[in-house]
Parts: sequence; C-alpha cells; structure tokens
Amino acid sequence: MRKKQAFLLALPAVLALTVFFLAPMLYILIKTLATNGLSDFVRFFTDPFYLDILWTTVRVSLVSTLVSLLLGYPTAYYMARTQSRMKKVMMVIILFPFLVSAVVRSYGWMVILGKNGLLNQFLLGLGLVQKPLSILNTETAVIIGMIHLLIPYMILSLVGVLQSIDPNVEYAAYSLGANPMETFCKVIFPLSLPGIISGCVMVFTMSMTSYVTPKLLGGSKFRMMATMVVQEINVSFDWGAASAISYILLAVILLIQVLVVLSTAGYMKRLGGGKNA
Amino acid sequence: MREKRVNIFCTIVAILVMLFLIAPLVVIVIASFTPTAVVVFPPKGFSLKWYENIFSSSTHFMEGLANSLKIGLLATALDILLGVTAALSVCRHDFKGKNVLLNYFTSPMYVPSVAFAFVLLQVYSQIGGIPGAVRIFIGHFIIILPYIVRNTVSVLHVFNWTLEDAATSLGANPVQVFFKITIPVAKPGILAGALLAFLYSFDEVALSSLLSTPKFITLPIRIMNYMELTFDPTLAAISTFLIAGSLVLILLMDKFVGLDMFVK
Repeated sequence: MRKKQAFLLALPAVLALTVFFLAPMLYILIKTLATNGLSDFVRFFTDPFYLDILWTTVRVSLVSTLVSLLLGYPTAYYMARTQSRMKKVMMVIILFPFLVSAVVRSYGWMVILGKNGLLNQFLLGLGLVQKPLSILNTETAVIIGMIHLLIPYMILSLVGVLQSIDPNVEYAAYSLGANPMETFCKVIFPLSLPGIISGCVMVFTMSMTSYVTPKLLGGSKFRMMATMVVQEINVSFDWGAASAISYILLAVILLIQVLVVLSTAGYMKRLGGGKNA
Repeated sequence: MREKRVNIFCTIVAILVMLFLIAPLVVIVIASFTPTAVVVFPPKGFSLKWYENIFSSSTHFMEGLANSLKIGLLATALDILLGVTAALSVCRHDFKGKNVLLNYFTSPMYVPSVAFAFVLLQVYSQIGGIPGAVRIFIGHFIIILPYIVRNTVSVLHVFNWTLEDAATSLGANPVQVFFKITIPVAKPGILAGALLAFLYSFDEVALSSLLSTPKFITLPIRIMNYMELTFDPTLAAISTFLIAGSLVLILLMDKFVGLDMFVK
C-alpha cells in the first residue's frame, strides 16, 4: 500500500524526465556513435586546436575556483563568527548578484573593463598608464567575471560549515598553546573540509560549463568548451564536432561528481569512525 | 592578540569581496542615468532617455520580457507539481533504490545545459515544426526541476511524519492532511526552490539561444543580440530594471522564507 503510494508519487516526474531528458540524451549519443563512430571523439583528442580549448576551459576553471576559495574562505569565516548586523547586509549582497542574470553582470564588467571603460578612464586620469589597458576580451576578464559570478556559491557553502563549528573548539586549541596558523591547519581547516569540497566542486563545474561569461567577456577569439559547442553549431555547422564536445564536457562533469562522491564517502567514514572510537 | 589580527584580516577581505560583488551593479545603475552614449564618471548630467528606449518596440525588450515571464512561470508551476510529488515519494517512504531515484530527479543539474540544448536541437530538427515557445519550455522545465526537488527534500528530510498520522487519527482525511499539515511544513523549501527555479529559467541563455526561433526570443537573448549591434546605456537601463526586480524578490524572500534557507 505504502509502496504503491510512493510509486504513484514518483511517477509523473520519472515519466517527464525519461521522455524529455534521458531518452533524448541516450538517443542522440547512440545516433552519433552509429553514424560517425568514434571519429569525432578521436578528432577532438588528436587536434591541438580542440585540446587547447579543453585546456583553456580547465585552466580558467581552476584559477576561478582557487581565487574564489582564497577570497571566499576569510569572508565566510567572518560571516560565520560575527555577531554584528553586518551579517544580514552581507547576506543580501551575496545573494543579490546571485539572483541577477549573468548577462547583466557581464555587462557591468564590460562597462568597467572596456577600452573606454571606467578602469581605463581612472588609470589614464591619474596618469598611471600612458595608453588604455586591454583587459576586456582576454582570459583575465573572463576569470574576473567568473569569480564574480561564482564566489557567492563558494561563500554560501563555506558559511554553512563554518557556522556549525563550535567557537569553543578554537578557544580550546588556543588555550592549549596553538597559534592561529596551527589552529587553522589542525582544527578549523579539517572540520570545514566538507564545505570546501562542495564549494570547489560547485564553482569548478559551473565554470567548466559556463557559456555567457566567456562569450561576453572573452570576445570572439576566446573559446571555452560551451561557447565552442554553440560556435560549431551556428558558425561551422559541424554537428559532429559539437556532439563530441558536448559529450566530452558531460563526461568530465560526471567524472568529477563520481570522484567527489567516492572521496567524500571515505572522508565521512573516517570522521564518523573517529566519533565512535 | 594574534587572534585579533586574524579577525582583522578576515574583516578586510570580507569588505573587499563585498565591494567587488556590488561594484558592477552600482556602475550599471549609475550608467543608466547618464546622458552620454559612452559611460563616463562622474556622469555629465542626468537623463531618462535610455529608459524610453527599453519600452520602444525597436528593441523588442518588452516582448522578450513577456516571453521570458511566460516560460519561467509556466515551467515553475509545472515543476512545483512534479517536484513536490517527487520529493514526497522519496521522503515519506523508505524503500530500496530511494537514493537512485533522488539522484535521477536531480540529474539534469549535472548535465551542461549547452549539451542538453544541442541534444534537444537535434531531436527537434528531426521531428520538425515545433513552435519556439514549446522548444524552449521543454528544455527549461527539465533543467529547473532539480532546484524544486532538492529544496523541498531538504525541508521534508527533517519532517516528523508522525504528525500526519496524528492528524489522521484525529479524523482528518488524506486531502486535509496533505493541505493542512504536509504542504505548510514544506512551504519554505518549495518557495525557495520555486524562486531559484524561476530565476534560472528567466536568466537562462545557453538553451534559449540554441532553441529559440526568430518568432520566439527570450529577454536575455534579446539583450545579448542588442549588445552585439549597439553598446549604449539602453543596456544599462534594461539591466537596472532587472536588478530592481531581483531586489524586490530578495526582500520578499527574506520576509516569507528567511535568507538562511540559502545557507547549506
């Protein structure tokens, strides 16, 4: 009876996902493999042009993740520990750009970083540079935009974990003679690792698959995996290549998820084991 | 003493990060009121002419806004039905394969939207004749479903199910139990999920740009197309318009659900 109820409740969503999501994904994968075999995939992994795009995508994502973590961690720590009303204000500031479209946010950076942009007006006005810097349409601009887009996710997942660490644990470490560095490395960091992992995975995967930021801030010559898919479809009309890039991107994301599940399962086990012992 | 230095360091980083997050938005809002086509600081005067532009038919922004709202609201409404029943099925009952089912419900999150968009594009071009609104709607309602499922599950996860039994033993019928007990408890999760889902759909670019037809184009795509041709503060005006919308949503969210809902 209860089983039947669960089945009936799950049915609509299962049906919708199977018909409109799983079936098309599998159908097109099989069709691509049946018509072109593995040739498009082989082409991707043997052509330096495509490998370079994959490497650019990974590099931008790694840098964005790392900077987000380095800036996000102290911010989250402050938010988790502060008693002041600043916390509410910060929460709004963090959630606010999070709810504003990526197109709008990229546009803001275009106004700031462009050749006649505010940053250049400022630097030229102060005489710090002789001719305008070209930051827009470079990898740097993409990374700036990406961090702006994704650092809220990092901060939110870190605040959650840091809030749950009892401040008394830190005081205990200090009273036992640990300096701030030791306290951080041996107490806070290990306890916040689940939040670090989930934040990094989120930022890294979202950056790997992002489309708007590289398209608007990277310019026409800057290519990442997602923008390349669209370019192959709309400009080169090479649907075989677009398929290969899509499924390779999907495979990378799934691989990361599997690795995370496996590694955190082990870590959680050790944490749990420690508690019981 | 040294602890204090750590705190000062964290405070400074936190303030800088906040300035970094808010800077482009402030720039956009100020830029939308400048009279010059190139944005300069400090602005030379004040003008509302760019706001007139966003309502003029040549930009198609209002038409795009209507399209985006239609898709976003319909997809969110459908997904509240699908997502809440799905969340109930995995939370209320204990059975083998429960986690597999939950992962299946949230699986569209892990698929790059550009990959899913391309798959749909190929299927559509094989079938042919599907109107633009339907093409985009199917993509959106699938890709936003995980947000509603996850947020509802996170609330139901800690729900004491004996409350339902208590209501039943006090004479409530299953429909009453559902609407008077289960739904009110799950409401914060459903609302937070619905808000995130709606915004995802409203701002979505990758799917919409591959699947839209000349007759049906959503607002973000209209803005990007405009950007490629003209780079004037009309973009700042429409952006300010959207920022104001987000501000209203976040304040409503704080009032009805509380912002802590977003700290996982």
